[in-house]
Amino acid sequence: MNLEYLWGGFSVALTLQNLTIGFIGCFIGTMVGALPAIGPINGIALLLPIAYTMGLPPESTMILLASIYCGAEYGGRISSILLNVPGDAGAVMSAIDGYPLARQGRAGEALMLSGLASFVGGMIGATGLALFAPLLAGLATGFGPAEYFVLMVFAFATLGSMVGSQPVKTLIGCTLGLMLATVGLDATSGAYRFTFNEPELGDGIEFVVLVIGLFSISEALIILENQASGFTVIRQLGRMIARADDIRKSVGTALRSAVMGFVVGVLPGAGASVSSAIAYTTAKRLSDTEGTFGKGDVRGLAAPEAANNATACGAFVPMLTLGVPGSGTTAVMLGALMLYNIQPGPMLLTERPEIVGGLVASLFIGNILLLILNLPLVNLFARVLTVPNWLLVPGILVLSIVGVYSTHASSFSVLLMLGIGMVGWLLRKLGFDMAPIILGFVLGHVMEINLRNALAISGGDISILFQSKISLVLWVLAAAMAALPVFLSRRAKKRLKATAPA
Amino acid sequence: MMKLKTGALVVGMLFAALAGNAMAEPAKPECLAGAKPGGGFDLTCRLAANSLLEAKLISKPMAVTYMEGGVGAVAYNHVIGKRGSDGNLITAASSGSALLIAQGKFGQYDENAVRWLGALGADYGVLVVAADSPIKNLGELIEAYKANPSDFAIAGGGAVGSQDWMKGAILAKAAGQDPKSMRYVALEGGGAVLTALEGGHVKVGSGDAAEMVQHHTAGKVRILAVMSPERLPGELAEVPTAKEQGVDIEWPVWRGYYVGKDVSDADYNWWVDTLNKLAETPEFKKEREARGLYEFTLIGKDFDDQVKSDVARFKVLAKEAGM
Amino acid sequence: MSDKTKSTSLAGRVGGVCLLALAVAYGIGGSRIEYAFASDPLGPRVMPVALAIVLGILCLFYLRKPGIAEAFPTGPLLVKTLAVPTLIIIAVLLLEPLGFAASIFILTAGVGWVFGAPLRKALIGAAGHALLWWFVFSWLLEVYLPKGTLFG
Repeated sequence: MNLEYLWGGFSVALTLQNLTIGFIGCFIGTMVGALPAIGPINGIALLLPIAYTMGLPPESTMILLASIYCGAEYGGRISSILLNVPGDAGAVMSAIDGYPLARQGRAGEALMLSGLASFVGGMIGATGLALFAPLLAGLATGFGPAEYFVLMVFAFATLGSMVGSQPVKTLIGCTLGLMLATVGLDATSGAYRFTFNEPELGDGIEFVVLVIGLFSISEALIILENQASGFTVIRQLGRMIARADDIRKSVGTALRSAVMGFVVGVLPGAGASVSSAIAYTTAKRLSDTEGTFGKGDVRGLAAPEAANNATACGAFVPMLTLGVPGSGTTAVMLGALMLYNIQPGPMLLTERPEIVGGLVASLFIGNILLLILNLPLVNLFARVLTVPNWLLVPGILVLSIVGVYSTHASSFSVLLMLGIGMVGWLLRKLGFDMAPIILGFVLGHVMEINLRNALAISGGDISILFQSKISLVLWVLAAAMAALPVFLSRRAKKRLKATAPA
Repeated sequence: MMKLKTGALVVGMLFAALAGNAMAEPAKPECLAGAKPGGGFDLTCRLAANSLLEAKLISKPMAVTYMEGGVGAVAYNHVIGKRGSDGNLITAASSGSALLIAQGKFGQYDENAVRWLGALGADYGVLVVAADSPIKNLGELIEAYKANPSDFAIAGGGAVGSQDWMKGAILAKAAGQDPKSMRYVALEGGGAVLTALEGGHVKVGSGDAAEMVQHHTAGKVRILAVMSPERLPGELAEVPTAKEQGVDIEWPVWRGYYVGKDVSDADYNWWVDTLNKLAETPEFKKEREARGLYEFTLIGKDFDDQVKSDVARFKVLAKEAGM
Repeated sequence: MSDKTKSTSLAGRVGGVCLLALAVAYGIGGSRIEYAFASDPLGPRVMPVALAIVLGILCLFYLRKPGIAEAFPTGPLLVKTLAVPTLIIIAVLLLEPLGFAASIFILTAGVGWVFGAPLRKALIGAAGHALLWWFVFSWLLEVYLPKGTLFG
């Protein structure tokens, strides 16, 4: 196995600039994760345009975004433990045993223990990613337009696992994303589509505008409505050092959960919420001999925390090797690469090893930084939870406006962002998820262009889509992916119901 | 005739130089790139910004700002609408801008809505095939195309109507085919064209010399013809021009600048004068070479004429191609 | 309770009809895209038209069973909800004439107040926001932001 790229990556990630960026990303990520109002996708959406207008090179931007992503998985546990409100989707299961521990006055111990579990998960996930990333690089030149098109079909098929309980809504969201992607200059015929003679729409809807609109603006309005329900923060942290006995007890659970989390992360479409649920239920089934799970068992806390961090790393595997996003967050990161005119896909590692290597190396470094940040400074992050919404939300809005305004220096894009945000809010109220829209938008453009280019090469003969071995394998995988996750999520849901009666 | 022209030029330059002394340099020199950082417009701006400062023709660094949209259309409209009289600002343009103006894709404005300042370098169109292709020169390419037009996919880094497409269309016409029925594959930039050639997905690629030259020397692709008036210097000296091979086509991709319509003559002349001085400095020549551009210096009135004749030429070409 | 679910399923239906209308308008717009000619067999119109048909069909499924929807805000909460985008629009329109710091002050003060802060706190908080973000962006990160044209 050739790990050349990884050593090169360390030399990228260990420069002073990228170390600083990684540190900033970890810090912001933990904060973003700790705040129940905003998750990693909001953090990334807000910082991406700023990184971009500052002229950061693509590898530094990817390091920043990856650090935020991982940081958020660390930070999510803080509010799960102290508030009983998960800081983000991956930390839902951490509250089940984390909050009871905090109520017993052992919040400090719980925070340290979960920090260690997160570290184990993150390191195992990063190692897995480092080994997996170069596997598909050899296929690179075999990918022509036809193969890319089938790859995109595969990517859409993986949506099956994100479908959840309301498949029609997911599919509508995805279609809306595809429709938004058609706005602007048609790269094949040079025709302007749906631009309404507005030159600012000539290049289509800016990715940043869409992401910030859908996630930040609509989020602000949702927060406004949910204001009434108040939380109580547990302020007594107790002793800050975990007991050696508890650590010993959790090691096995954490290791096992990390491996499971990584595997789930590699599967496109299944995210940290699924993996932490699987890890928790498995740990409960294997270890809960005395019925202590759910009442403050340290293993019940270690399992989901190790799993969700490993999943975050695993989700980079399909993203970096195939250009297929496994989650809303990785979809945004793919969009970020496209902002730099970098086409993600199998040839990414060969063409831009510094990006893949830098990102993977920064995950190792980031996990160490996060452990350092999260053990002694956890008090600081806990205090973030007390920032009132009237101070926090205006800050989110300022970041949104600056982010959009700075890429275009025009009011038009800010107003477009606001319009998209309002529609996004309406859709969220109707029970639509925003992630499929982003996925449709990111993938739709690539899919249409490659289909049309494939047909331009063949002169309209559809058989070109089934000619190469790569295409055939992808078709089979697509069919399998469309069927499998539906089955998996049904099973996971059944188990979840059995363990979490609330 | 020739003498007269040079004479006029010298007098003009003297005049400009004299006036130049009286003129102040812009307080906040700025170059606007109508695209993302890293693209062609960015390169054009950096060429001016870096070499002007290195040659000490400006005392403060020139800021490079970005406003992407519509391959420069947003920047064009912005300069016309909001900064028409700003003498600090020059905006990057290329022959691609002239092509888009000719096709009416720059909104309601035509080529007379700004003052064209000058071009400082150019790249030239090339036709390439994969290194293992049996085709060795332009003549063979045309024959191969004629023999089997329905099996001949041409890839370029732009949509139908773009410069890369135009070059392909000229090839199609040379082979006696209708450009409309050409199997053109629109990819995202030269890198993608290279991958498509290497993977054997397309037979011919249309692109520019600067981005293809390294792959030519690395033995990945073969450049069949350069679309320049004379052979290009350096690594491409052995590649014949299209003209030498009997196809009368030149495709310079110039890189230049414009300023707003209402910029004062004093400011305009300061820029013209400064660019003229710049073009002679070794710092500039080094900088131009580093950015893979060939010599193409055309400043002031001459450049203005060039842009206008380009737009007229592109209009004819587009019509011929059936756009 | 039954009232609430009724009204929300109504909201779902209204949303479904809007999406259906979008599909129709998008499809018609897509079939009328102007282009000289395309080098590929599909051309620029096929994808939009196909998407319009897909969305249309999905909307019919959705209209049949709109599923769960949250209640829309009414009364004072609705006013507050609408106040947020209005404040953003005002801030954006004032961005170029008043400059970044001043318009951000107005936005953050207004939104802070809408989010329930007493007026005095909202104003102090907004001053903090304006100072902090101006410092971070204009000074630390050197992002281009308008300084305002009104005061020269």
